[in-house]
Amino acid sequence: MSCSNLTMLVSSKPSLSDATALSFRSSLTPFQVPSHNPSSPGSRPTGPIQCGLRELRERIDSVKNTQKITEAMKLVAAAKVRRAQEAVVNGRPFSETLVEVLYNINEQLQTEDIDVPLTKVRPVKKVALVVVTGDRGLCGGFNNAIIKKAEARIADLKELGLDYTVISVGKKGNSYFQRRPYIPVDKFLEGGSLPTAKEAQAIADDVFSLFVSEEVDKVELLYTKFVSLVKSDPVIHTLLPLSPKGEICDVNGICVDAAEDEFFRLTTKEGKLTVERDLVRTKTDDFSPILQFEQDPVQILDALLPLYLNSQILRALQESLASELAARMSAMSNATDNATELKKSLSIVYNRQRQAKITGEILEIVAGANALS
Amino acid sequence: MTLNLCVLTPNRIVWDSEVKEIILSTNSGQIGVLPNHAPIATAVDIGILRIRLNGQWLTMALMGGFARIGNNKITILVNDAEKGSDIDPQEAQQILELAEANLRKAEGKRQIIEANLALRRARTRVEAINAIS
Repeated sequence: MSCSNLTMLVSSKPSLSDATALSFRSSLTPFQVPSHNPSSPGSRPTGPIQCGLRELRERIDSVKNTQKITEAMKLVAAAKVRRAQEAVVNGRPFSETLVEVLYNINEQLQTEDIDVPLTKVRPVKKVALVVVTGDRGLCGGFNNAIIKKAEARIADLKELGLDYTVISVGKKGNSYFQRRPYIPVDKFLEGGSLPTAKEAQAIADDVFSLFVSEEVDKVELLYTKFVSLVKSDPVIHTLLPLSPKGEICDVNGICVDAAEDEFFRLTTKEGKLTVERDLVRTKTDDFSPILQFEQDPVQILDALLPLYLNSQILRALQESLASELAARMSAMSNATDNATELKKSLSIVYNRQRQAKITGEILEIVAGANALS
Repeated sequence: MTLNLCVLTPNRIVWDSEVKEIILSTNSGQIGVLPNHAPIATAVDIGILRIRLNGQWLTMALMGGFARIGNNKITILVNDAEKGSDIDPQEAQQILELAEANLRKAEGKRQIIEANLALRRARTRVEAINAIS
């Protein structure tokens, strides 16, 4: 009689969800306290959550805090992607002018035999791998993907019987290779938060000296290409020897013309952030024919190719950074969603326990009052 | 008739405005460019670029590259460029001393190449601060 009154009291509470009310009614009849019930309703796929009231409250608070942090990290990553994109756009005038000049010089040197140290093709005995990773974690599978690709390439080279050395850029790659002393590493370099020409220069210097001093015969660059906000692709490009036309070749020999370039733009489509890649072909119009070369065309090529090397490395660093930020955005967004779900299920269990406790106290009071009367 | 100067590095545009005259260090010596210069293309060495604006000379340290001089339009593509006024004298001096020490320690063809490049760059930066004539 008093029990039925109690159930009505419980179900009239507006904060209760239907499931909770049902479980109360079902568990009150056999007079069990629900918090000791090991089999909870199957709406939560994570299984039973067994805690006391205070622990549950603390857990809910900590999940709420974590959710705030992951949400903030996602927004920060989104803002940084925009900045990374601006950096790419800023580098465009340089690469466009460079490509124009390169084309024109090549046209003038068509018939001659050019002998520039950076384009010398030698029989390959040792290969240098430049591996670009990120500095921080919490970015999903980004760092793992590129490191796996590096390991695969090293295995390939070993099979071909070639010697190799690694130049690692980025803290994550550095710590990975430091823990594996059996992989010969040439240098550890730190990436900055925004790759500048100085960092690209440091890598270029290293690579340049390795190649020109004939310590290595081929330099390959491993970085992550930014395909879209949810997809990024680790790729391997052959950095040196450069082709005088400025083509960038893949390890499989697929060459991309330097004049054709892809630029990515972060825009909003239907309210959601998306990435659009445009294929841009720089106009290579004719030089004024009376243009004289102050020095030998070969010397000029000698000065141009390091510039080209620098800009390629910088582009790789920028794309890597953009993919890292995109990976972090999606990882943090997933984390935020998971935190919301976890908070909801924890709150349900918490409320259930709290109400069970209140019901227990009321029952005691009623029982005591009955005993006295 | 003024000269339009554009100094580009891989990640930003360092200078893009009109000047009266420039003095550029190339592989084959220094060249001065006045308005209506004949069109030439030249390689730029690691050195100092002097720019004259209304009687005032400005220095910029260039880290090697390429220059194209067209119809009153100069385009300089360099690996890195720093305005003389942006360089911290003490820091530049320290880097120079470090580079000299590195060169003395360098062994093997490769280290010597690297150390030489670093030394030239450090020296150019220090000169850019001092030579404001």
